[in-house]
Amino acid sequence: MPSRLIASLFLSLLVAAGCARKENPPVGTATALAKKILRVGNGTEPQDIDPQTITGTPEYRLMISLYEGLVALAPDGKTLEPGVAERWEVSPDGLTYTFHLRANAKWSNGQLVTARDFVRSAQRMLTPALGADYSYMFFYVGGGEDYFHGKLKDFSETGFQAPDDRTLRLTLRQPTPFLLQAMLHHAWFPVPIDVIAKFGGLDRKGSDWTRPANFVGNGPFVLTEWRPNQVIVVKPSPTYWDRARVKLDEIQFFPVELAETEERMFRTNQLDLTYEVPLSKIPVYRREQPEVLRTDPYCGVYFYRFNVQRKPFDDVRVRRAFALAIDRESLVKNVTLAEEQPAFALVPPGVGGYQSRHHLTGDIAEAQRLLAEAGYPGGAGLPKIELLYNTLEKHRTIAEALQQMWRKNLGIDLTIYNQEWKVYLDSQKTTNFQIQRAGWIADYVDPHVFFDLWRTGGGNNNTNWGNAEFDRLLTQSLDAKTTADRYEVYQRMEKILLDELPVMPIYFYTYTRLVRPDVKNFRTTYLDNYPWKYVELAP
Amino acid sequence: MSTAATTIATEPIEKGNSLWHDAWLRLQKNKLAVFGLWALIVTTLTCVTGPWLMHYGYEEQNLDLGAVRPSAAHWLGTDTLGRDLLVRLLFGGRISLAVGLAATLVALSIGVTYGAVAGFFGGKLDAVMMRAVDIMYSLPFAIFVILLMVFFGRNIVLLFVAIGAVEWLTMARIVRSQVMAIKKMEFIEAARSLGFGRRRIIFRHILPNVLGPIIVYTTLTIPGVMLLEAFLSFLGLGVQPPMSSWGVLIKDGAEKMEEFPWLLIFPGAIFSLTLFSLNFLGDGLRDALDVRSSKD
Repeated sequence: MPSRLIASLFLSLLVAAGCARKENPPVGTATALAKKILRVGNGTEPQDIDPQTITGTPEYRLMISLYEGLVALAPDGKTLEPGVAERWEVSPDGLTYTFHLRANAKWSNGQLVTARDFVRSAQRMLTPALGADYSYMFFYVGGGEDYFHGKLKDFSETGFQAPDDRTLRLTLRQPTPFLLQAMLHHAWFPVPIDVIAKFGGLDRKGSDWTRPANFVGNGPFVLTEWRPNQVIVVKPSPTYWDRARVKLDEIQFFPVELAETEERMFRTNQLDLTYEVPLSKIPVYRREQPEVLRTDPYCGVYFYRFNVQRKPFDDVRVRRAFALAIDRESLVKNVTLAEEQPAFALVPPGVGGYQSRHHLTGDIAEAQRLLAEAGYPGGAGLPKIELLYNTLEKHRTIAEALQQMWRKNLGIDLTIYNQEWKVYLDSQKTTNFQIQRAGWIADYVDPHVFFDLWRTGGGNNNTNWGNAEFDRLLTQSLDAKTTADRYEVYQRMEKILLDELPVMPIYFYTYTRLVRPDVKNFRTTYLDNYPWKYVELAP
Repeated sequence: MSTAATTIATEPIEKGNSLWHDAWLRLQKNKLAVFGLWALIVTTLTCVTGPWLMHYGYEEQNLDLGAVRPSAAHWLGTDTLGRDLLVRLLFGGRISLAVGLAATLVALSIGVTYGAVAGFFGGKLDAVMMRAVDIMYSLPFAIFVILLMVFFGRNIVLLFVAIGAVEWLTMARIVRSQVMAIKKMEFIEAARSLGFGRRRIIFRHILPNVLGPIIVYTTLTIPGVMLLEAFLSFLGLGVQPPMSSWGVLIKDGAEKMEEFPWLLIFPGAIFSLTLFSLNFLGDGLRDALDVRSSKD
């Protein structure tokens, strides 16, 4: 229903825009450079440009241009630097964060960005009627979860406090060492509450406030044009406090869903930066134009979920046999092709300085032995096994390769089948599968994100697996005094995961895209959230 | 080939000219139709027997090898998982041809019976039956097949039986109109006056006379069904990996055509060849069986 509403909005917008504006001629490289217009391939048409309700990566990349949180990414793409908050203090017990907001941080309508804006944004985020998927990122703050579940009626009793316009004080439920990292996430960006209230109410998704004419943001760029399924145009915001550092004159985001189309647009000079690269094109670019192909680590893990309540995966020996019987090195070298790291643990190497100590070890002989021990020697007597993946060429190719490895190494004949994204998500939620392809991209750079997933009954667990000791360690980890202590707890949790294997890790993601040499100072960060304001165009 | 053709051509003449024999002679004069017939026979035989003669299995991978162009070891090259394209092409051919035949047979039996009954009885029964066909025609086809897919699950045989059950509509209409024309002829009157039952009249006296259009339409349905299978595979609803079909291979090839052109060229060529052959043969048969069009 909301999507239909949005669609009709888009339609009316399209008609209105179509009447008023002449078609823009396609911008060639010469004019693009002279005017410093960056043309970005951005995957799909965004669901919306409300940072509190969106969930996808194409939207995230737009959000970074239109909004700014309390903290921001420094030009190196790794360290934090002040954003709307010019400085902050953390109490020694790690429970109280005090942010001091800049005097010159302004919304694009000229009003000041105040601490109250952040409090009210948090309140909107925690309003169940909004139905925001990322509400849980605000549960770290005291009272957040209670307010969300209706146990607390008065928002002023939560840990979100604004003593004055320029001071924001957050009192946490328990120490959350990665809070500042998490604040880079779009869910933590402030939203213009008054504007949203004017256009249909705070808890309505997809109302008119995100139209170019009504839009208000606090980021380095403002929305100037949104032609659905064609282009989204943003231009530097004159009221942005750090305007001097914004180098580009304009960014155009093109929703190009097909990687092949996008690659063709890149080749014909219609894009400066792509969203992805077709698998079969990676070797070509590597051979012929290595200077435009960028491959960087991406903070995520590609894995297969087991449904531990369905036979035969209720037996950990079968799960281990499956996990051991595949050749991950060969898969990443010959099939996925983008320099991915084979995954023998659950956390990508080096997330927040964490290095997994325990790894999945064992050879094919052991896999065969385990399968025999479980009562299925050489795969005999196994029930029918089906592997579910969502409809995408790459997933099918990987599944086919693994299917054959299992057939060869374990004598298992399994079927692979695909579902459309929404059906697939439904099957995932209801754990209606035996093995399911999945992946997880971190929302913030800390190993915690990869453990929080497997909490018993957690919303993204979807394996029916649970472990009391694991849950206890998960809670305990946040109380650890030092990062080293915390990572020690993580090691123990990872050991549990690798012993029980509710999922089998396959590889750690990399991000591959094409970048024209004219684009300067662009980096693919670990979460692909590099601020657009540092990017420059120069021949 | 030419000697075989001439012996067939000369021998029956001595026995006299039946309608079928005339048709056969006319068909032989149509070069394209003869070519189509032979191409089909050769393709079918190769697909059926070929895989037994090969060294590789259709699912056998060689990841380290990857996609290589045609060579002595792999005559048509390999795909990105290092699987031999020739074997996959032959296996895919089995599926595609079998699917074409199975679905067409289903369409044939339902369509002919339905059309003949409607045409023969006429009146209210005919009106009701034909409106039912109209209604089914108006269903969006892709959605209907996807629904059947959901209903039958991922069973390839059932799926294509289901496609056949959809494809019979046109056949029913053609047969009905033919039956309506024929049932007014004198020899049917004669059969009626001899006291034959309706069933006997329909199946023994009318249907043999509409066989021409039926055969022609059948040869045109097979490529239609094969294209449909390709379309469904394109959507990911057809055969499931690692099994292949021509549709699947073409879809894969199309995605990788710039880097690995042979993955598209060979499956595309063989698929087109088969479709052309079926169409040529169908055209030839139509000309040959239509007695009114050529009285020589």
